[in-house]
Amino acid sequence: MEIQKQLKRDFLTTLLSQGKRADERGKMDYRTTKVQKGVLQNSEGSALCNLGKTQVLCGIKFDIATPFPDRPKEGVLATGAEFTPLGSHLFEPGPPSVESIELARVVDRGVRSSNAVDLQSFFLEEGKVLALYLDLYVLDHDGNLFDAATLAAMGALQNCIMPKVEGGKIIRNENKGSLPLATSCVSCTFAKVDAYHLLDPTLDEEKGMDGRLTIATTPKHMCAAQKSGWAGYTQKDIMELVDISFAKGDELRRHLQ
Amino acid sequence: MTKIVMPGEMVSERPLRMAYAYTDGQKTYSTVVAMLSPEGKLIPLEGPYDALPEDYVVGFVSDVRFAGYSIDIGTANPGSMSSRDSREKFSLGDMALAKIIAVDEVKNIDLADARKLLGGRIEKISPVKVPRLIGKKNSMITMIADATGCQIVVGRNGYVFISHKGDHKLAKEAVEMIEKEAHTSGLTDRVALYMKERKAARGGESAPASGMPPQGGMNAQPQAGAQSGQGGMPPATGQ
Amino acid sequence: MGGSGPKPKLLNSDGSRLDGRKLEEMRPITIEARVLNDADGSCLLTWGRNKVLVGVYGPRECIPRHDQSPYRALIKCRYNMAPFCSLEEHNRSGPSRRSKELSKVISEAFENVIIAEAYPKTQIDVYIEVLQSDGGTRCAALTAAAVALADAGIPMKDLPVAIAVGKIEGKLAVDLFKDEDNFGESDNPIAFAPRNWEVLLYQADGLLTRDEVEQGLELAKEAAKKVHEVQVEALKRVYEKPHPPSVPLATGMFQ
Repeated sequence: MEIQKQLKRDFLTTLLSQGKRADERGKMDYRTTKVQKGVLQNSEGSALCNLGKTQVLCGIKFDIATPFPDRPKEGVLATGAEFTPLGSHLFEPGPPSVESIELARVVDRGVRSSNAVDLQSFFLEEGKVLALYLDLYVLDHDGNLFDAATLAAMGALQNCIMPKVEGGKIIRNENKGSLPLATSCVSCTFAKVDAYHLLDPTLDEEKGMDGRLTIATTPKHMCAAQKSGWAGYTQKDIMELVDISFAKGDELRRHLQ
Repeated sequence: MTKIVMPGEMVSERPLRMAYAYTDGQKTYSTVVAMLSPEGKLIPLEGPYDALPEDYVVGFVSDVRFAGYSIDIGTANPGSMSSRDSREKFSLGDMALAKIIAVDEVKNIDLADARKLLGGRIEKISPVKVPRLIGKKNSMITMIADATGCQIVVGRNGYVFISHKGDHKLAKEAVEMIEKEAHTSGLTDRVALYMKERKAARGGESAPASGMPPQGGMNAQPQAGAQSGQGGMPPATGQ
Repeated sequence: MGGSGPKPKLLNSDGSRLDGRKLEEMRPITIEARVLNDADGSCLLTWGRNKVLVGVYGPRECIPRHDQSPYRALIKCRYNMAPFCSLEEHNRSGPSRRSKELSKVISEAFENVIIAEAYPKTQIDVYIEVLQSDGGTRCAALTAAAVALADAGIPMKDLPVAIAVGKIEGKLAVDLFKDEDNFGESDNPIAFAPRNWEVLLYQADGLLTRDEVEQGLELAKEAAKKVHEVQVEALKRVYEKPHPPSVPLATGMFQ
């Protein structure tokens, strides 16, 4: 892997010095994006996001749970991510890798901070709340799992029904309309290769990158951010990428309609 | 008429020894999804590379040891080359064209005669589509190389070296198109037409560099009659 | 099989099942091969309300190396249920004991047909994800895995196919859905190699008379023939779809 990484990096920097990316996209262009909602029948909400060759599926299930002791009137939102081994020659079966844990936590942060879901409305009675389980399944890895996962998560939330609860139990085949959402969260992920920033990196570009920055936004706010990799970023870099992330918001939200 | 057969489907009422098939009792059955030609030959539509001695393969150096190298050629275990069997010295990550000189019963692969491939990239296609990419008497690969001005070296293992010089992207698209449509007829004409249209669409701005010498001193000549399944052929190259 | 509490009726007064099917009728099946970009072979299979996705990788390096065989490839099938697959609760991630058992019996079915001697010192990975479950998932899983392996070009002697028969309210029925499986009297999943109808997977629970066992095999075989046709069609269709070069393969997996 190590040799491949260096080879990829050299190849990328050669192209970038000529102003090009391997697939001839602009540095700040997304690949072909598609979000299909309602692709699963047994879950309460679902969506599949295609971002170039990357495919990420999100399924939402509701259960009844006990609330966290420090938030007794609030529902539970829990996000998981599976790097299921069919999704990439790089994924192995076994306990969750740190990358999959990072993905789950960053998508969770974005959705939670955006307050898209009103967790207060999940309160049922003393000691009982609704729990919304959001599970991301990476089916095909060709880079930029973060943005694909955020779109899949948002698509699934927009597709999600509000479950009917009777006698402390969820009545599975019925619902009380759609899950109300206050806003939408989208994210932009940039790979840093040498001095260049590339939006929506492919797997090849990620293999050769030195750092990565993901910025999640609502229309008015940044709601999550995550930098990874060893590279350092200047403040100017960060502000430039934050501005681009806000600007790209409309384009991304169009895919959610 | 060519038809598509499935694993377990009968391909002959007689017990025949042939690739991609097995016999049971008095009949022969396919082991893969394949096209069955009117002559009764099986052409698989997908599948891993079956290394054979005399095959030329393309790969990159994945390990450097005291007495030799490991070369990643896409097989489950990399090929080995001893330093004695190669005229050039290699570094980690170098791309190379090499010949398989031996494959033992546990599929250890010995390579020799490796030559460096410089200034390009390796694209991967399914090994069973390599004959189609080369074409009858190298017709397909020569056409792509001429139209793009790229140096293209096709390994039997499905690794294809395409030089940066020339219209690398168009060459890559042509290779991908052939991989997806390898089973269809009239492909050579369609590929030629596709490349003509793409070049016109770009207004000729990416005119291939003319008169470019081959990189790295590569010199294998196209041989007449390069066909699938034949060992002992130098790789098809186009320039 | 077997739940506590009052059992619901599984047959209507006219003899039809709760979902309207006749006893020997199967749920609708759709199969699509080559739906993933990275995997060497893949298959998405919908069977009634079941949805199973399979990705195949290999032959590739055998890890851990001390597991590898000098004679053949190791076949590693991994059956797994997604957390959102059930109509009821959310499941925990990771393989349950049931998943591990199913992984084993499915792997063993394929050990019969895959020509593993062609690839010593390697492993062939078959990753099965159940995205929606409604009874009969192991049969759906095996049927889909066969298509994914064929899609990858892994040489096999045959294209296995599986179907479950069972007993509900004293009558033999084909292709039980979840409630029939839970509240019926027997569940009997069977996999065949369609060339000569050799049985590659055979499990049963509940109570069946000797005659019911025999009838079950016959019923399963007749139904399996139809499922096999759908597998073959799916593989042929891969080569009938036109593919523009720049469009990724898998763009409409769930359409």
